[in-house]
Amino acid sequence: MSEKFDKAVTTVKNFATEVKTHWNTPAEGKYVPYKEYKDVVIGVGANYTGSKILEYIGFWSSCFLIMYHYKLPYLTFSVIGLLNMPLGYVTALIWWYVCDNLGFLPKKKERLIYLLYGLMMFFGISSLIFDYSRLFDQSGSFITMLNSFEGMNATACFKTFGTHFLYSGWVGARNIFWRKKLLPKYGRYKYSLYCDVIPKCVMVFLIGWLPVYNIPDVATRVWVANLLFATYNVFGFGNVLEECTKRISPNLQERILIRSYPVKISHIFNSILAIILPAIVGMLRHKWADINFYRFVIPITFTISAAFTMYLAGRIKERIPQPPIEKKVQIKFWDGMLGVLKNKYLLINTIVGLIDALGNGMLPFATILYFYTFRLSGLPYSLIVALISFAGTPPDLLSPYFLKRFSYKQIMIFYQLSRAIGNAIIAVAMWTLGDNLALCGTICIVVLFFMEMTKTVPTTAGHDMGVRINDYQMYLSGERLESFGGIFGWFTGPITTFIGLIIPIFLLKYGFNSNWEILFFDGSRRNIVVIPIIVDTIGFFLMSIPYFFWDYDNKKQNLVMEVLKRRAEVTEKKAAEEGKSTAGSYKG
Amino acid sequence: MSKKEKKEKKVKGEVLQEDIHLDIPEDEIWTYQVPGLAAPHINKPYKYYNLKKAIFVIVILVAVSLSIYFSVMALQNETFEYTQLENGYEFTNFSNTGYLTELEIDYVAEIEYIPGNNDPATNFSVAKDENKPVTAVREFALNCDDKIKTIYIGANVESVDEKAFYSCWSLQNIEVDENNPNYCDIDGVLYNKDKTEILCYPCDHDEYLRQKYGYETELFTDDITPEYERDVQTYVVPSTVTRLGVMCMNYANLRKIYLPEGLKTIETLAVFKLHERKNEWETTPSLSNVYTYKNNNVTDTHFTSEEVLGEIYLSLPEGLEFIGSDSFSYNQNLQYVYIPASVKEIGHHAFWDTCYKEDGEIKGVAVMNVAVNEEEFAAKIVGDNWIPQYDYLLFKKNIDINYSAERAEK
Repeated sequence: MSEKFDKAVTTVKNFATEVKTHWNTPAEGKYVPYKEYKDVVIGVGANYTGSKILEYIGFWSSCFLIMYHYKLPYLTFSVIGLLNMPLGYVTALIWWYVCDNLGFLPKKKERLIYLLYGLMMFFGISSLIFDYSRLFDQSGSFITMLNSFEGMNATACFKTFGTHFLYSGWVGARNIFWRKKLLPKYGRYKYSLYCDVIPKCVMVFLIGWLPVYNIPDVATRVWVANLLFATYNVFGFGNVLEECTKRISPNLQERILIRSYPVKISHIFNSILAIILPAIVGMLRHKWADINFYRFVIPITFTISAAFTMYLAGRIKERIPQPPIEKKVQIKFWDGMLGVLKNKYLLINTIVGLIDALGNGMLPFATILYFYTFRLSGLPYSLIVALISFAGTPPDLLSPYFLKRFSYKQIMIFYQLSRAIGNAIIAVAMWTLGDNLALCGTICIVVLFFMEMTKTVPTTAGHDMGVRINDYQMYLSGERLESFGGIFGWFTGPITTFIGLIIPIFLLKYGFNSNWEILFFDGSRRNIVVIPIIVDTIGFFLMSIPYFFWDYDNKKQNLVMEVLKRRAEVTEKKAAEEGKSTAGSYKG
Repeated sequence: MSKKEKKEKKVKGEVLQEDIHLDIPEDEIWTYQVPGLAAPHINKPYKYYNLKKAIFVIVILVAVSLSIYFSVMALQNETFEYTQLENGYEFTNFSNTGYLTELEIDYVAEIEYIPGNNDPATNFSVAKDENKPVTAVREFALNCDDKIKTIYIGANVESVDEKAFYSCWSLQNIEVDENNPNYCDIDGVLYNKDKTEILCYPCDHDEYLRQKYGYETELFTDDITPEYERDVQTYVVPSTVTRLGVMCMNYANLRKIYLPEGLKTIETLAVFKLHERKNEWETTPSLSNVYTYKNNNVTDTHFTSEEVLGEIYLSLPEGLEFIGSDSFSYNQNLQYVYIPASVKEIGHHAFWDTCYKEDGEIKGVAVMNVAVNEEEFAAKIVGDNWIPQYDYLLFKKNIDINYSAERAEK
């Protein structure tokens, strides 16, 4: 016993010595000093926490700020999506053009792109200043059609359309400008923090303080809110420091070590805040409905997170030499398009995504349960949310076993069916026990807990399969064509837009609009929640069907990897014979 | 299969997997097809390249166009929507053009635009078909409209769902044709014909009252005078009323409500979240007290003096039997509640969030007063969380219940 204890003490002492010795300079064969581990914990923690805080603010119907304070009609988000869709295709094409020209554009082309973006911004700004809808016949079918949209009128439609032009031009131009200016100095992941963080903080404060939600006319409120949030979205605050840690060391073992410990530990800050924030909400007089949450609590916590992030961002380094994204070899536009369309597994995933769109527009069931059934706030809310989030942790630890024991096909079919069954139980409970809040709520919470438990392994399997699908694409096309995967969205976008209207239109019939407090009315809550859950349940059953055609297994993956290795061997050999560099290549 | 055999098979399997080696000739590395998978397509032209490109573009264009078309069709609303019934038409949905402030529900109507008039506020008229009478108004026919100020209900309307005019934020008045046999209005508030049920007190009725009693602007909380409170923020429910309908007074700007002693039922969300303006940008709970009066000949809903109402006492009427779920929720300014012995059922969250903690003190409904003793109260039907809760440490705690309580003096 004492021998074991001595051994443990020695191990701890050795570890302490190791940390002390290599606090500022890394050990031989390693690249990251332990001091940087500490920076990763705090820096990634702050960045991750900041990005999570921003989830409280967003221009979507399930955001409490939007639903309670802005009171925007539910269907209006579908109208805005529809207005923005065509321009989305145009801007995607311009973006591809920029990529095809390697990002760092020749002067002439750069000027051309800037001009294009400038014109878009000009049109956007002018449409905000002037009311272009007045150029049309106000009695004509076009204007009367725009006037008939829920929560909109012709003026608001034109201004929303213009806002998207302004946003797209602004984001595009900034992207080229800042990328060129900051990327060489700060690397490809962190650079955006340096140009975005201050305006982002300002926007977070403005969203809480600008009284846009008090504009009495709903159509005006819609377009002004859209403009406000579009401006807010121009500036990013993604979880970029965590991305950096994926490239923190050329030593694979060291990289895995950092991602396994410091990065995972860093998430604890967010877990703590996820408990503290609702507890603070509980102390406010009007709880979640208190605007002071968005005026003080969110901006202050975000600014603190942002400050820590910026303080430590410079200390977390990217150490894998790699060309910027724009410098990587480009595949011809059409070859890329046709290449990904040959990938059967991407097609299956696309079909699954399409069926999943049946649930689009559904209200966040858990939020309704917490706010409108249980009326939760404060610590009880934090604890229930934490409990359900925790449900996914134990299965996460067992993921390797499940991934080894069951095929991807089995895991995904089980996943879809388990979600279908879980939803069906919730629907039955809410339909039959709607008035018995305690029993109905308990059943729902237990089911949510189990659904969260069964979600982790399929999520991990999905990530793993994502990499494998790219390997398969590499085998098919000689390149991974990751960016071209978005092509499927071009096809599915229009369909999902339409399918996504089914539930909101249903909800409107049952009285759901911009005033969510109809959910306090038992009869309406039952219909508003249960009908979409039934539609979603059908979707989950259907989503299991495409996976029956999934035949990409370990054996095929191994064979694909063999082909890729062989290709690498042969090309490297030829390159060596021709006296070309093979640095950075991989033989397997 | 024994454990040992299983283990051996597993090990063998792993070895087999690791042992996979494909002897692909150098000139076939880009064309070698893995069995069961599609053949690679690398460095060679696509067949029908241009045709495929054209199909791709056409499919995308068609998909986007169809999507926009069908989505617009789905999102487009008629201004007035009706369903035919045996005895007439049911008014099912109203989608404001953005400029309609008055709505007449009597005959099937549609908007007719005036060609050449480019002013959207005046370039239309409402055309009615007098052969098609509206006899019913469906629930949520008007939902979150913020333009309509006056609704006129015609003589033929036989049924109006209690949730028909939900969250009409600018609605000041509901006028009912005096020949309507089923409904009537008292000074812009909707009642059933025999005035036993109050059905809709418009959300912005205070604006109508301000105009009526000569107040030019809305007064904020700190500026409210006793006269303003009396004329605009006090409502006397007529003595004939026995039922406050579902959501009938929700979101109204009222500080005091006088109920008749004959009232039996307060429905779900009937007195939900009454509020007034604290300043230009914020609202605050307004309802401070509910009173009961005994005079059974009161028809005037405007409070003039207590003498007119006869004997008055604080809180809910003796004789009240049903208090619906969320009926008084979120009225944090409410000072006193007394549950009379006659109450048989209280819905869930009936008095939810009617108190809050400030400077360590519970404000609003700090104690729930109940006429009967604990044993008798336990025999009543009571919903979950009917009693308000206040913040206690980081959790919530029910306020105290004062059983066998005496009603407080007014």
